[in-house]
Amino acid sequence: MTNTRLVEGSAPAFEGRLTRQGVSRREFLKFCGLMAGTLALPARYAGRIAYALETAVRPPVVWLNFQDCTADTESFLRASQPDVDDLLLDILSLNYHETVMVPSGRMSVKSLEDTVRDYAGQYVCVVEGSIPTGDGGVYCGIGGRTALSIAQEVCSQALATLAVGTCAWEGGLAAAVPNPTGAVGVKDAVPGLATLINLPGCPVNVANLTATIVHFLTFQQWPETDGAGRPLFAYGEEIHEECPRHDHYEHDEFVQEWGDAAHRQGWCLFQMGCRGPDTKHNCPSVKWNDGTEWPIGAGHGCLGCSEQRFWDRHSPFYVPGDDD
Amino acid sequence: MPKIFIPIVTKNSESAPPPSQKVVIDPITRIEGHLRVEVQVQNGKVTDAWSAGTMFRGIELVMQGRDPRDAWIFTQRICGV
Repeated sequence: MTNTRLVEGSAPAFEGRLTRQGVSRREFLKFCGLMAGTLALPARYAGRIAYALETAVRPPVVWLNFQDCTADTESFLRASQPDVDDLLLDILSLNYHETVMVPSGRMSVKSLEDTVRDYAGQYVCVVEGSIPTGDGGVYCGIGGRTALSIAQEVCSQALATLAVGTCAWEGGLAAAVPNPTGAVGVKDAVPGLATLINLPGCPVNVANLTATIVHFLTFQQWPETDGAGRPLFAYGEEIHEECPRHDHYEHDEFVQEWGDAAHRQGWCLFQMGCRGPDTKHNCPSVKWNDGTEWPIGAGHGCLGCSEQRFWDRHSPFYVPGDDD
Repeated sequence: MPKIFIPIVTKNSESAPPPSQKVVIDPITRIEGHLRVEVQVQNGKVTDAWSAGTMFRGIELVMQGRDPRDAWIFTQRICGV
């Protein structure tokens, strides 16, 4: 198979694209600092990241939506500190994404087919949503094909597959009991992928998705992962241990009822069903909505959305869990 | 009434459009979810049309028997846009 060669980037060309997108040099460097921080790297790495992003080849990316709610896409498009999506679209070449692409129907399918054929082994495949396997995969069809057959063809020929959100990791919501459609994640729909990075969360935190891609562009390797294929920089620490309310837990200072005095004083939400003790995710430091807030900070318990089978294991969500 | 433009794809633009043709657009892009539209065109006019959501998760079935306080957390995930 003859692959189309990827064109190497150059700093002036990158600068030009940034200018056209209205992203200043200062904003770009701030972004690089943010990425170094998210990856738990010393601040001096910001310069290395900036150089890598300026000169990196632009890897083609195809983004597949299956049994999803598009919240991972929203997470990606809504980021604005700086406009991470604009920056990423300068760094990457997003060849297929149904929610944002111009072509429809057969022409959109052609974009996907062309990328898979011309850049086999060179493109990155992002998967959002679970893949139904029940009844021959009829519960999700795109362009007349099942999600299962698309995933098997596209993921297996990718340089790497990034499963974003809990659904793409292990089935998520659609796979909750009784799993009516036989939904599974990428790891079970296409077993044996050489590189599969799982970025669970409901939805994925765009900082972690971006940092994973930036890590690859900077170091030419994917970040180190745990046994479940989740990058350690994002899923290495328990929320409970990093929680700003942890002292209240240690002192048995618990919220007992919504709006009680303890709730108003920001005490521990464990008795209200918080799953922080059972969840590894970097929410306390990276936060959400451009780093402004996160559930526990806003006074609601953690659902533990980045953990295996959380829809069944962690529900009922307002009943206290196990704190070992 | 707004004018609606239905593109008719023919191999040779010189010739008249075929008297009856089915146009299939799948996937419809720039929406949340998965949609397929089929349009029957006769002498340049739409005579019939079908649309289908091509993805099903069964959230109603997943929610049966669960704590009602959890309902919002499940139903919120119907659409994340």
